[in-house]
Amino acid sequence: MEFKRFLINKLILFFMLTTLITVAVVLTGSAFDPEARFGYKEMLIPIEYAALCMLPTLVTWSKRELSAKAMLLRKAVMLVLIEGVILLIAFTSSVIDTSRIEVVLAIAGSVFVIFVLANLFVWLKDAAEAKKLNRELEAFQKHHA
Amino acid sequence: MNVRIEQVGNEHDELVLIRCRAVTDEVREIESFVKSRAGSLTGTSDAKQYEIAVTDICYIESVDGKTFLYTGDGVYETAYRIYELEELLKAKHFLRISKPMLVNLMKIRSIQPAFNGRFTAVLHSGEKVIISRNYVKQLKAALKGE
Repeated sequence: MEFKRFLINKLILFFMLTTLITVAVVLTGSAFDPEARFGYKEMLIPIEYAALCMLPTLVTWSKRELSAKAMLLRKAVMLVLIEGVILLIAFTSSVIDTSRIEVVLAIAGSVFVIFVLANLFVWLKDAAEAKKLNRELEAFQKHHA
Repeated sequence: MNVRIEQVGNEHDELVLIRCRAVTDEVREIESFVKSRAGSLTGTSDAKQYEIAVTDICYIESVDGKTFLYTGDGVYETAYRIYELEELLKAKHFLRISKPMLVNLMKIRSIQPAFNGRFTAVLHSGEKVIISRNYVKQLKAALKGE
């Protein structure tokens, strides 16, 4: 894959992650610390987290076409790295109460759910494209039969 | 080698005749080219030569420098390189879908999303081949007749 296309895909993923992280912060925050109030500075947290999550996604870069198995393996490595990055931030943060195991589990669970959703959205986009290709293929075969 | 073209009327069959002193590799190459233009390719399987109709070929793959023709019921090795076949079979609805593979668009049953932006072509023979992300643009253009 061209590196330029790889970067464009990562940019799309970045905005997707920013949205999903915002939703995850709202849901987990409402459940564990509903009284918390944030300032303008904290509004940047989802963007910062999304940017940090982008770094581990570089492990999926390859100049040659990866097999499905190899890509699956790299995605698994990527998930472990993202979990590591987010938990490291959580444990070093003064705002997040990591002494509560349910908070740590909720953060790790949110990362996993966001990871699955982000991949699901990409797959749905590809499925829609495949549907269009099938319509065009059918027309092509009818025309050349 | 001299080349002579003679026009014939509808009452005669079209024929390409090669008059040579010895059947060399070069002559075989010309024979193979003429046959491919006529709609068939020469392939070998179990040390036997076969004439395979281009319309019967599902896909063509290059493996370790060798090129193989896959029909619904057999695999045949051909002397052609994948890039030569790509050029030769362009008008016969064959399209490059990954670096080592050409597929017959008329033999695709459906296209499914594969992992990470790639697609899988399910052939009428039941086989599945991967359409590389780098060739999806060409596939779209070919299906639109561009």
